[in-house]
Amino acid sequence: MIKIKNLEASIDDKTILKGIDLEISAGEVHVIMGRNGSGKSTLANVIAGNEAYEVDGGSIAMNNTDITEMSIENRALEGIFLCFQYPVAIPGVGMAYFLRSALNAHRKHQGKDEMDALEFLNNAKAILSELGLDDSFLKRSINDGFSGGEKKKSEILQLLTINPKLAVLDETDSGLDVDALRTVAKGVNKFKNENNSVLIITHYQRLLNYIKPDVVHLMIDGKIVESGDMSLVEKVEKDGYSWLEK
Amino acid sequence: MIDSIKKSSIEFFNTNGLPSKKLENWKFTSSKNFKNFNKSSSLDEIKKIESDELSIVFINGVLDKHSLENFKFADLIEVKNLNELTKKELLYCSESFLNESMFNLGVSEFENGSYISFKENSVIEEVINIKNYFFENGQNERVSSFNIFHINERSEISIIEEDIKENFSIFNLKLNKFICENSSIFKHGKAYNDDSQTHSLSYNYYQIEQDVALNVDSMVKSSFFNKEFIEVDLNKVGSDAKINILNLGKEEQHVDNNILINHKAEHCTSFQHVRNVLDNKSTAVFNGKVIVAEGAQQTDSNQSNKNLLLSLESNAFSNPQLEIYADDVSCGHGSTTGALDENSIFYLRARGIDYSSAQKILIKAFAKEVIDDFSLSSLQDISEIALDSWIDG
Repeated sequence: MIKIKNLEASIDDKTILKGIDLEISAGEVHVIMGRNGSGKSTLANVIAGNEAYEVDGGSIAMNNTDITEMSIENRALEGIFLCFQYPVAIPGVGMAYFLRSALNAHRKHQGKDEMDALEFLNNAKAILSELGLDDSFLKRSINDGFSGGEKKKSEILQLLTINPKLAVLDETDSGLDVDALRTVAKGVNKFKNENNSVLIITHYQRLLNYIKPDVVHLMIDGKIVESGDMSLVEKVEKDGYSWLEK
Repeated sequence: MIDSIKKSSIEFFNTNGLPSKKLENWKFTSSKNFKNFNKSSSLDEIKKIESDELSIVFINGVLDKHSLENFKFADLIEVKNLNELTKKELLYCSESFLNESMFNLGVSEFENGSYISFKENSVIEEVINIKNYFFENGQNERVSSFNIFHINERSEISIIEEDIKENFSIFNLKLNKFICENSSIFKHGKAYNDDSQTHSLSYNYYQIEQDVALNVDSMVKSSFFNKEFIEVDLNKVGSDAKINILNLGKEEQHVDNNILINHKAEHCTSFQHVRNVLDNKSTAVFNGKVIVAEGAQQTDSNQSNKNLLLSLESNAFSNPQLEIYADDVSCGHGSTTGALDENSIFYLRARGIDYSSAQKILIKAFAKEVIDDFSLSSLQDISEIALDSWIDG
């Protein structure tokens, strides 16, 4: 699905990623854990194409297509979806209009007809119901006045509506109460199947109680230093990260 | 009587000349182009305009009385020539207007101004269209007009003003006075969706009595120069004035709002919300002032100016001011100026929306927040269509 080779990236002349190698196949769920400042969110943003970051070396390929130099929107259309850690509020742009615009941009890219308003609304309402959100959610402006939990549910609503190939969850679990965490996890589990992939970036085990990862990576100072199974998460919970430092 | 008023007005103008940048309301506005226009002469031929039953037509600033023959609510209005008014009735207005040389020029030049009075208890649900047609009578003409609208007690009137002209150069110097008597409701919408050759300078005075609800909603697009003075006197208790303005500027256009709200009585509220979207080398000026007089307790006032700059060469000058002489009031003001938020653009693009579309969505969102606050849904519709074409243009 996605193949990252020796990726180096910086922001404001400060090198953050120092050679990331990561390969995620279709049907897999990978987790990246690491301390604050280790470069986890930078990796998520660089995968999504955030132009605030400079790619200094290496490559990112999506389904064998090199996307390293691809624009943000074209990466999205190729199937990359970033669940934002801090989703921005955009007053004046309605959720329904935004979701339908995004969905139809993808459909156009896939050579499909635009989805009509009625079909879109029926689909969106079904997802909202599963997320425990009221239909009026669609009438609100993007993330404007949303609680922390609503913002993260909004991201999951977008994920399920657009149905991308790779979901990158950048600390989607942060700031959520147990109920909201369960709802978000339920949404992600509904999304994942054998044809798509999920990359979860997190500090904590608690989301992983609901979404079972196939591979766990530990990141320190811009590099993946250890990869393994769920036992790595338990070790981090118990011992922290200092054992990884040489 | 009117001749003596005109004489003293032209003397005032001749003494003071065109406004200079030393004046606060003209600090960021050049009047040099005004010199290129000459006083208009009367139209050579009377233009015949077909009007509908909800329209009152003005031709080059003068009421077309034929339009009243079709007007559905003709029996609810009384029309006089301004010559029939006393000096006080004519010129009771803002002291600051009387000290403006261009206002005086307009007073000295207008011909056949009209006083249109809506009778007491005239409740009209439909929106009345005030259609200002302009016809070219010579090159680079200055058309001065002065009209007074009187909304009598317990009347409810909604109007939308629209300027209609072909593609020619004109200086539209417009003086309007609106008197809102006790317990009246007046919604005044303006849609200036003009070509790029128009210079427009307007003075709008609102005399507000007790328990009045006033809405002034305006959308300006494409005029080369548009400077508007709005002054609201809240003379008696319990009135509310809401002003929502959206200006869209491109190329070298200049849009300019000068708003003064005088809270002279207790328990009044006022709200100003002016947004400018500026592209290319366009400029915008906001001079907004609220004066709360001594004794105008329980005043609630808010003033907001937001400017969205779409190019490095566009400029916005914002000057919100408060003068408060009462001690039990709630007054706020704020101003922001900036470009489109890069994080918001990233967010939209990360969902597959291309850069250009993301920009358009954000521009529309910024502008639409004012449009959504317009009190007249028909003006909302007109403005949204104009906004879409401006963004795509």
